[in-house]
Amino acid sequence: MPNAEPHRLSATALARRIAAGELTAEAVVASCLDRIKEREGVVRAWAHLDPAQALEQARACDRSERGGLLKGVPFGIKDIFDTADMPSGYGSPIYTGCRPNSDAGAAALPRAAGAILVGKTVTTEFANRHPGPTSNPHNPEFSPGGSSSGSAAAVADFMVPLALGTQTGGSVIRPAAFCGVVGFKPSFGLFPPSGMHVNTESLDTVGAMARSVEDIALFRAVLMAIPYEAPRMPERPPVLALCRTMHWQRAQKEGRAVLEAAAARLRAAGAAIVDSELPPECADISEIQRRHSAYEAPRNHAPELHRHAELLSDDLLAHGRIAAGRELSLDDFRAAWRQAEAAREAATRWAGEFDAILTLPAPGQAPKGLGSTGDAVFNSLWTMLHMPCLTLPAGAGPAGLPVGIQLVGRRHADARLLEVGLWVERQLGARR
Amino acid sequence: MTAPNQLSAAAAIAALGRGEISAETLTRACLDRAAERRAVKAWAWLDPNQALAQARAADRAGGAGLLAGLPIGIKDIIDTADMPTAHGSPIYRGNRPFADAACVALLRMAGGTIIGKTVTTEFANRFPGATVNPHNEAHTPGGSSSGSAAAVADFQVPAALGTQTGGSVIRPAAFCGAVGYKPSFGEFARSGIKLQCHNLDTLGIICRSLDDLPPLRAVLTGAAGPPRSIDRAATAPRIGLCRTPAWETAEPATQALVEGTAARLSAAGAKVRDVAFAAGFADILEHHRRIFYFEAARNYAYEYEQHREQVSQVLRDTALTPGRDLPLAAYTAALETAEAFRRHLDDLFVEFDVLLTPSAAGEAPEGLGSTGDPSFNSIWTLGWVPCVTLPAGIGPQGLPLGIQLVGRRFADEALFDAAAWVAPRLA
Repeated sequence: MPNAEPHRLSATALARRIAAGELTAEAVVASCLDRIKEREGVVRAWAHLDPAQALEQARACDRSERGGLLKGVPFGIKDIFDTADMPSGYGSPIYTGCRPNSDAGAAALPRAAGAILVGKTVTTEFANRHPGPTSNPHNPEFSPGGSSSGSAAAVADFMVPLALGTQTGGSVIRPAAFCGVVGFKPSFGLFPPSGMHVNTESLDTVGAMARSVEDIALFRAVLMAIPYEAPRMPERPPVLALCRTMHWQRAQKEGRAVLEAAAARLRAAGAAIVDSELPPECADISEIQRRHSAYEAPRNHAPELHRHAELLSDDLLAHGRIAAGRELSLDDFRAAWRQAEAAREAATRWAGEFDAILTLPAPGQAPKGLGSTGDAVFNSLWTMLHMPCLTLPAGAGPAGLPVGIQLVGRRHADARLLEVGLWVERQLGARR
Repeated sequence: MTAPNQLSAAAAIAALGRGEISAETLTRACLDRAAERRAVKAWAWLDPNQALAQARAADRAGGAGLLAGLPIGIKDIIDTADMPTAHGSPIYRGNRPFADAACVALLRMAGGTIIGKTVTTEFANRFPGATVNPHNEAHTPGGSSSGSAAAVADFQVPAALGTQTGGSVIRPAAFCGAVGYKPSFGEFARSGIKLQCHNLDTLGIICRSLDDLPPLRAVLTGAAGPPRSIDRAATAPRIGLCRTPAWETAEPATQALVEGTAARLSAAGAKVRDVAFAAGFADILEHHRRIFYFEAARNYAYEYEQHREQVSQVLRDTALTPGRDLPLAAYTAALETAEAFRRHLDDLFVEFDVLLTPSAAGEAPEGLGSTGDPSFNSIWTLGWVPCVTLPAGIGPQGLPLGIQLVGRRFADEALFDAAAWVAPRLA
């Protein structure tokens, strides 16, 4: 897209053009801000956005001699992360006016690589269920998914090429799929979690959103502070496990149809598609995830319960994780922890038989209405298994909304997953 | 009669509960001791008026909560909404968090009073703070939870929170002659604690008596219900004498202490056998180091990138810069080795209730430039197993020695029972 407006370009293209002197960071950020101005009234992706502050950062970047993999590339960050120069509200009125004293690791590393932090994107309350105001950019009557609602919507709507989210259940992959972008949740702990408001320590995973696998790979290198090598297209088609999971009955018609069609298309392109399900040790993995998340909720929210319980939503307190957590004992939590470790071991052996696992990123298209961000049932199992996940757009549902597929890799084989993703993206993209 | 500030946390809770002392009296005694002993330099923040106001509020509240009226010190790496939190770094001088850390809120909800913030090394790493060893001010108190260990050992507060990424709870507790406890990984909430290494950081407790641990532990796990008291009727534990791959770094007095303790406990009726790690884990400390550096270098990205000149050279040169250069594959391999090591420890604990091992290489080293070697702790931090250090006499330099007991993961209560069997049988 040589003549495309800058906000339409990929992060990879922007970085290249800025480095070549063909574009300035200021022009790129200005283009993104124009797009935001045009669309924010409907999409409502941003919890904090100060155009003057974003432009000032861009001008400083243009003046600086310092390079960096993402020099001049705009990004957004979920408002669950601390930022030294922007408020952090965590999606809760309790934190109105909260100004952290530092940047989260996941904010500091892109900034150190020259990226421009445009603003904070809307999160559900404490990255739980209670939704924010964001709508799906493809149709404002539908949810963008959550909890990384604003990040998914902003990337899908060409407001920023890159954004950060977090996933405790399904909060990166699901909104990315609902909004039709590429979402990546790395193996647990591989992106730095410092400065992220804790939801559940044993599950919270920082994740990335972009509009291509290549951009995800570039962003990943920055977020891990490792040398960047562009992902290589695999020389041979991959071996993929088609995993419908134990929750297949909860998938919607369009979710199943898009997955089956993608499998057929990839098979036609040469991939070996093997029907395979998680090993028996993983049978209860979704319940194990629920117990981790519920048990930690009352104690992790102790500061809010202590001083501001009346400002917590019923979705979190009375009918949510805090109430559920109060039903669990420490021994329940310990047992769940042990079961998760056994499940991970078995899942790692199983996943090693394939190049990737092909599965659903969500039951189907985004749900109608903004009251619920949808069901994380096809995500929470992989989050608890600590396995890397990648969602790619792959089709459309009955309302014309995006429907994705999800690729899951062996734990710590994240780079390999992105290479397989590159191949799958090419095959699926050829249809559009 | 024991001065109020000399009461253990358990004794203080009991005295407060019976109305024998008020929270105000207890807090005032602690504050008086701290004022008298300023030379220890245990506190990063201590405002007597604020502490007394909290104590009076606890008295007015009428003793509700498991820790009603108990003064507690908080390591200055842990967020407090009403006190500055400086993380031992000039970057955060005057930093006022918006909210309490989860652990602080849990303590407050149980009626505990937060008396002040204790000195931490820079970002709970190795660059030392001002604290001295209360037994001899020419010696380090250990670190990184330096102020917590010194304040508790010096009777300035009955209990304090510390954190351990390598050896930052057990080692300073041992150097100062206190009881230290690092729980199984995952048992205590870390939210609101400055994150150094997500796979290692563990919140712990420093106190003066084993009986202090159950109530504090019950509160910090966030579990509902009363604490499980220590079972003193428990039978003699099966003890594994574990010298660890770091044994050669232990001073002769420490080696003699650990071996002598093993003999003494055996004579007292415990089944004691030597136990060693499988050969594949001889370099387990190297895997700890890799995880430590890789994660710290990224979690501290803001400080490293935006305020590098205010980060100590020792932190930059020994951890953050090498952590940046460590290959990803070395890090993920270390994570996988750590998991295998944890399974190995599970296997060892089929035959043992508890492992006996040094708390530290020796007495607190002379000088304040280094807080000592964490090798005898890093192993267990990586192993996610619960650890207790108990005071065990005085070394050749006149400073405290400790012995460390290590339990099976998620069997912290059984570790306390074993420690209670061991404690009265120490020399």
